[in-house]
Amino acid sequence: MADSLEDLKARVRALKADFEAALGPAGDATGLQSVRDRFLGRKAGAVTALLKSLGGLADDARREAGRELNELKDDLEAKLEAAKTSLEAKAGALRLERESLDVTLPGRVPARGRRHPLVSTREALEDVFLSMGYEVYDGPEVEDDFHCFEALNMPPDHPARDMQDTFYVDVPGPSDLLLRTHTSSGQIRYMLENAHPPEVRIICPGKVYRRDNDITHSPMFQQIEGLVVGRGISVSDLKGTIEAFLHRLFGEKYPVRFRCSYFPYTEPSVEADLSCIVCDGKGCRVCKQTGWIEILGSGMVDPAVFEKVNEHLGRVVYDPEEVTGFAFGLGIDRVAMIRHGIDDIRLFYGGDLRFLEQFRG
Amino acid sequence: MRILLSWLREHVEVTVPVETLAADLTEVGLAVDGIENIPGDAVLDIDVTTNRVDCMNVRGVAREVAVLYKTSLKPLDVTFAETGALASTALTVAIDAPDLCPRFCARVLDVKMGPSPPWLRERLEALGQRSISNIVDLTNYVMLELGQPTHAFDLAKIPGAALRVRWAREGESLQTLDGVERKLKASHGVVSGPEIGLALAGIMGGASSEIGDGTRTVALEAAYWDPLSIRRGARALGMHTEASHRFERGADPEGPVTALARFAHLLQKIGAGTTRPGLIDVHPAPRRTARLALRPERQRAVLGVDVPDAQRRQILAGLGFKGETPAIEVPSWRGDVSREIDLVEEVGRHYGINKIPSTLPPARRPGGLRPAQVLERRLRDVLVGAGLSEVVSYSFVSRADAGAVRLSNPLADNQPVLRTSLVDPGLTDVLRLNLSHGRRDVRIFEIGRVYQVREGQLPREDSRLAFLLSGTPARHWSEKARPADFFDGSGLVELLASAMGWSRPVFEKGNPEPILHSGRSAAVRTGGQQVGWVGALQPEFSKDLGLRQEAIVGELVLSELIAKAPAAERFATLPTQPGTSRDLSVVCDRGLPARDIESTVRGAAGRLLRDVMVSDRFEGGSLPAGKVSLTVTLRYQEKERTLTSEEVQESVSAVVTALKGRGAEIRGE
Repeated sequence: MADSLEDLKARVRALKADFEAALGPAGDATGLQSVRDRFLGRKAGAVTALLKSLGGLADDARREAGRELNELKDDLEAKLEAAKTSLEAKAGALRLERESLDVTLPGRVPARGRRHPLVSTREALEDVFLSMGYEVYDGPEVEDDFHCFEALNMPPDHPARDMQDTFYVDVPGPSDLLLRTHTSSGQIRYMLENAHPPEVRIICPGKVYRRDNDITHSPMFQQIEGLVVGRGISVSDLKGTIEAFLHRLFGEKYPVRFRCSYFPYTEPSVEADLSCIVCDGKGCRVCKQTGWIEILGSGMVDPAVFEKVNEHLGRVVYDPEEVTGFAFGLGIDRVAMIRHGIDDIRLFYGGDLRFLEQFRG
Repeated sequence: MRILLSWLREHVEVTVPVETLAADLTEVGLAVDGIENIPGDAVLDIDVTTNRVDCMNVRGVAREVAVLYKTSLKPLDVTFAETGALASTALTVAIDAPDLCPRFCARVLDVKMGPSPPWLRERLEALGQRSISNIVDLTNYVMLELGQPTHAFDLAKIPGAALRVRWAREGESLQTLDGVERKLKASHGVVSGPEIGLALAGIMGGASSEIGDGTRTVALEAAYWDPLSIRRGARALGMHTEASHRFERGADPEGPVTALARFAHLLQKIGAGTTRPGLIDVHPAPRRTARLALRPERQRAVLGVDVPDAQRRQILAGLGFKGETPAIEVPSWRGDVSREIDLVEEVGRHYGINKIPSTLPPARRPGGLRPAQVLERRLRDVLVGAGLSEVVSYSFVSRADAGAVRLSNPLADNQPVLRTSLVDPGLTDVLRLNLSHGRRDVRIFEIGRVYQVREGQLPREDSRLAFLLSGTPARHWSEKARPADFFDGSGLVELLASAMGWSRPVFEKGNPEPILHSGRSAAVRTGGQQVGWVGALQPEFSKDLGLRQEAIVGELVLSELIAKAPAAERFATLPTQPGTSRDLSVVCDRGLPARDIESTVRGAAGRLLRDVMVSDRFEGGSLPAGKVSLTVTLRYQEKERTLTSEEVQESVSAVVTALKGRGAEIRGE
C-alpha cells in the first residue's frame, strides 16, 4: 500500500531498476515473456500490483500517481519491444551466418560443347559473302573428270593436273570418277544447273581431297570457291570483292596485295596475299619472313570455261562476248590455321578433344 | 627455278635493289620465294608457273625485267668461227616421226674434253648443279640461260653417223644415261641410229653414245619435241628430267638454232673446241605464227581500267610481240598465248595488277542460305548447347558396308573406302583416341556425308548426324557421377526433335545395327519414317575399347529431316485457369513398354487430359519378380474454367479401367 506520492515514486524507481536488471540477461523470446509477466502481467505483474495499491491516496495524488504508473507501463512496454526487435535481428544475423557458403568453391557450369574450328571459320567466311548477296551452293564430293578438270580447261594430260594429285574411285559403271581436288567443280555444276539468264553470285564451301599427307597437307581438307558472273564484271570487281572480304574477316588494318599467277580456268589469274597478321608485316616464321601470307587464288573466268559449259548445255547461255566473271578459291583450313596459329593441319581431323576444346566454338 | 643475279645482269640492266626486283617480279607472276645472298651475288628462287616455260631460264626472266623497268634486253652474243669440213658431210639426220619431232637441229663440234673453266663451274655450282666436264657443263649452261635443252652425242658412237628420229618399237630397250635399262613402248620417241635407239627423245640421252674423256667429235642435238608426246612418254616411264620438264610444257620451236649458236660461241670462248661449218636443220613441220586481235574495249571490259594505247604497245613489244591488232604476232617462245584474252592478261600483268582500281559489283538479287543450310547451322547450335563437341573425320575409312565407294589409289592401305556410317569407324575411333589420352567423358557429334554406290551415276551422298556419349560430363563436387546411358541418347534425339520442329520421335526396340547392345538400342522413327537409330555399344565392343562405362551412339539421316524449313509455330491462347494433376501407380509386366501405358492412358482419359508422363519407376523390393511399378502423372486442364473434381475423377476411373484391361494393377486402389 502506497502511503504517499513520494513513497510511490520511490517504488517506481526501484521497480525500474529491477526491470533493467531483469531485462539485461533476457536472451530470447521466453526470457522476454517472463520479464513481461513479472512486471506487466495483468494478474501478478509488479506494475499491476502498484496500480492496485493506489486506493489509499487522495484523489489528486491518485491521478498523478496513475499518470506516473501509466508512463512507467509505456516505458517498460517500449523497452520490451526494443529488446525483442534487437533479439530478432541478432537471431536473423546468426542464421545468415550459419547458412553462409564458401562462394569460392567451383560453380555448376552447364555442359557446353564446341563447334569445330573449321566449321566456325567456314561460317565466318560464309557470313561475309552472305552479307554481299551470295548464295551457298553444295556440290558432290565424288565427281567426274568433266566437272573437276575438263570443263575447267584442264584436258587430259594437262600439266596443271600434276599440281593436284587425285584420288580415283573404283565403282562399277562410270570409269572417270574421282574425289574432287577442288571446289571449283561447283562452278561448273552451278552454271549447268542454273542455265537461265546468266547472273551468278555463289560460294561453294566443301571438302576436297588430294593425295598428300604432312603437317601442311591433309589428304582431306576444305575449300571455299566463289563465282560471280554477269555483264561488266572485271578485275576491278574481283579486287574490290576480295579486299572487302579479307578486311571484313581479318580487319581493315591489314593491307592486301595482288600478284599475277596461273590457273588453267582463269585468265588473268591473280593471287591475293594478306599482310601477315602475326607480325604486322614485319616478317616472321608464319609468313616465312616475307611479311605476306598467301591467302587465295583467283582470276577472271577463262572464256574456255564458259564455252565448255555452253557446249555441255547445247546452247549459248554464257556468251563470253557478253558476260565476264571472276572466281576465287581459298583453303578454309589455311584461314583457320592463320587465325588460330595452328601449325599442323592434321589436328583438325583427329577428333582430339584436347585440341578441340581450346576453341570457343 | 634458281636465277643468278649476276647472270641476269648480263642480259638486262638491273638498277633496283634485289629486294625490289624480287617484289616486282612477284607482282607480274614470277613469284620469288626466296633470295639467297652469296658473296658478291644473289640467287633468286623463282616459282615459275607451269604455263611460263619461257621464263624457266635467265633470258626469259631478263625479258620480263626489261619490260618492268622499261629497258631493253642486252644482245645475246652468238658469234663464232666455223672451221673444218661441212657438218653435213659428217652427220645426217632424218625425221621419221614429224608428229613427235617437228624440228631437229644439230651441229658437229670438234672438242677437247676437259674440266670447265672456273667461272663456268662456279656459276653452275652456285645454282646447285654439279660440274661434270666442259661439254656437259655447256649443255646445262645453255639450257639454264636460254631454256633449250641440248644433247651431246659422241659422233664416233653413232653407227653410220646417221641419226633418225622415230617412234620406239614396242618392247625395244634402251639404256639411259642414268644406267637404267628401259623397256620402251610404241608411244616413246627415240633418237636412233640405223637400228638401235641412242637417246630417249626429249627426256634423256642413252649410255651407248655418251660422251667421255675419249670423245673427239660431238653431234650436238637441239630439237623441238611435241609436248604431249614427251609428257606421256616421261610419265609412262616415271621419269622427270630438266629436259622433259621444259619440253612437255612447250619449248620454243625457234629455240634450237639460237641455242646451238650460243653453245658454239661459248665453246670457242672457253677454248674447248671448234664448230664445223653449217647448221643441220630438219624442219618437217614449220610452226605457223599466231596473229591475234586485241580490242581495246575487250581489254577494258576484262581489266576494268583503260590502259593507254602507247603503254599497251610498249608492254607487248617488250615481251616480243610484233605488229598491231588485229594481227599481233605472237613470239615463238610464247606457246601459252593463243587468244585475245591471253593478250589482255599480258597487258594487265605489266600495267600493274595493283594499279587497277577496286570496285564492288552491284548485287542484283538477294542471296542467303537455303533452308537446309539454315537448319544445319541450327542443329549444330542445339548440339553444342547440349554439351556435345563437334568432330570432323576423314571420309575414307578402313571398312564400310556393302555398296561402299572404293578408292583405286588410296593413300594408306588401311583407308581404301569411303564411309557408309559416321559411327564405326568414325566416332568410335575418336573415342578410342581420347580414351588413350586418359579422357573419361567423351560427348561428341559429327555432321557429314556418307557415300553409297549408285549404278551408272555419281555415288549417293547423304548428310548424316552421328553422336556418341560416354562417361560423366565434368562432375560437380556436390554431386554423384552419373555416366551416360541409353536415355541420354534417346533424350538427345527428343531435344533435337523439339528444337528442330520434327514430329515427336518414337523409339522402337530392336537391334538396328550389329555394333549395338540388342537390349539397349532402338530404331528412331519420326513422322512415320525411320530416320536413324540410337543405342549402347555392344558390351564386347566396349570391352575392346577399354571402356569402363557404356558408350551411347546414335545416327540420324539428315537429308530428309532438314530438307524443308518447318512451318512457323502457331500460337495457342493461354489458359485462364490453372490445371490439376493426378498420379497413378501402375504395376505391370516388365516387358510392357511404357509407351503402351502412355497410349492406353491417352486413349481412355478423354478430352480433358493435356499430358501424360512417367514420373517414377521401380522394380524389386516388395514387387514380384518380372513386375515393374510406374508412376504416371496425368495433367488435366480446361482453358476457360476450373475443373471439378468429379469430372477429373471420372477420367481417372476410365484410365484405371483401361489399364487394368491391359493387365496392369493400380496400387492404392
